[in-house]
Amino acid sequence: MTVTPVQKNVSPAAQRRVTKKKSEASGASIRLAQLGMTVVVLGAWELLGRAGIIDPFFFPLPSDILITVWEWISTGYVFPHLWITMQEAILAFITGAVAGLVLGFLLARVHFLERLFEPFLQMFNALPRVVLAPIFLLWFGLGIWSKVAFGFTLVFFIVFFNTLEGVKSVDRVLVNNARMLGASEKQLLRHVFIPSALTWIFSSLHISVGFAITGAVVGEYLGASAGVGYAIAQAQGVFDTEGVFAGMFILMIVVLIIDLLVNRAERRLLRWRPNQSAT
Amino acid sequence: MTQPAQVEPSAYAVELSACTKEFSTPGGQSYVAVQDIDLKVEPGRFVSIVGPTGSGKSTILNMAAGLQTPTSGTVKSFGTAIDGVNRRASYMFQQDALLPWKSVIDNVSLGLIMAGVSKADAYSESRRWLEKVGMKNFADRYPHQLSGGMRKRTAVAQAWIVDPDILLMDEPFSALDVQTRQIMENELLQLWQESGKAVVFITHDLDEAIALSDEVLILGAGPGSTVVGSYEISIPRPRDLLDIRDDPQFVDLHREIWGRLKVEVSRTYASAREESEVA
Repeated sequence: MTVTPVQKNVSPAAQRRVTKKKSEASGASIRLAQLGMTVVVLGAWELLGRAGIIDPFFFPLPSDILITVWEWISTGYVFPHLWITMQEAILAFITGAVAGLVLGFLLARVHFLERLFEPFLQMFNALPRVVLAPIFLLWFGLGIWSKVAFGFTLVFFIVFFNTLEGVKSVDRVLVNNARMLGASEKQLLRHVFIPSALTWIFSSLHISVGFAITGAVVGEYLGASAGVGYAIAQAQGVFDTEGVFAGMFILMIVVLIIDLLVNRAERRLLRWRPNQSAT
Repeated sequence: MTQPAQVEPSAYAVELSACTKEFSTPGGQSYVAVQDIDLKVEPGRFVSIVGPTGSGKSTILNMAAGLQTPTSGTVKSFGTAIDGVNRRASYMFQQDALLPWKSVIDNVSLGLIMAGVSKADAYSESRRWLEKVGMKNFADRYPHQLSGGMRKRTAVAQAWIVDPDILLMDEPFSALDVQTRQIMENELLQLWQESGKAVVFITHDLDEAIALSDEVLILGAGPGSTVVGSYEISIPRPRDLLDIRDDPQFVDLHREIWGRLKVEVSRTYASAREESEVA
């Protein structure tokens, strides 16, 4: 999160090179420290477990968890579940994001609609979303659609509120300038409002992608016939704590990979923004 | 460069007649920004408006642009009343008004693109303009990668490329350092001299106003300020702005106009002091 003040007479490229070198040097030592910490914590866990000080039934040994992870992967057991979870998450994300974007733009540009909808949106947003899961199970069944609906309610509100704020906070001067250059309402939307709102939407993308997956997994955990959440619930049902931890570990890795992809996309689409090297 | 006086009254590029603008304050009261403004700018004339801070200079410009409508009075441009944005005018804002998500060339070509010009034509025209303002090597940069002076050059190209009949400029160079500013003023004059465009130039800097203009209007202290003086600047053109401040004619005019402006400036400060004492 290094934000360097802009120095005069130094080209931005050169400046970036300087900061990069610096952060690389400290980055390597940080990485080393992180690795060391991981080894110490996992090693202590393993040793304490083997010595019988912590109960391996509740806290299975890290080596056993890794073996279970490997089993799930090598036998292919986890992939159909993962695929189902991903389907649910992707569908929830797309439907939630599209609905949030459209409604966000609409309400930001039509003041009457914003005032009309505001209390209702606040009410739904105030509702803890988890309580919706049982009713969605009844409405949409045990298949993927109850999880999609659940994830939708999580993603929608984040994208919606960010879009609304993003469109409303557009600099007046930019709008006036575009209008003086002859922009119609449609052109204003395309050249000014959408790009400006994109910044806000992207800043919420990490959270909304995470929520789409959370929605899928929690939904599966509460009632499903497939998916990673279901696999974890199954393992829990037979007191297979290694299985529970293995499911958690796999989910964690998958979410990290997706986050990396989101970062890539963000950097490409927002390359006009200053200090984009800060992550 | 001055046009002969027999211009028909309807042919003024900008004509404000008895324009008053009131704003309502958050407290529910109304605040008169400018009162009974008469402003007539013939095509091809360079007119500056100088006034103390808070005298409603920008309000006048915004009314001429059609971005604000007067509470009473009429605004005409080339004989037709302005409804919505003034299509024959370009506006250079005091703040940065370049779209930060568009590269320099996309910013410059924006006006043409929105007018329906093909991208290839708009780009080649933009390149011509970028060359004119000395920015051709920076076409692919984003605004945040440019210095303040370079951003202003880009803004000049952006405003001029649509070939407006009127240029409205709201302290466009006030954020620049003194040297950059004089260079920009010189370049502006060169561009303008071959163009025959009407310019309304807002500034708080009397030197700048006299050096550039055919006519300088002095605005009284706010609130409810109005035009309190109008001075014809007959210094021959072409002018070299780097030396003009030593010109005896310039010195005389400056002394005369400053004598009038001084009164308004001290009145502004006196009322500001009174207000702070009451508060």
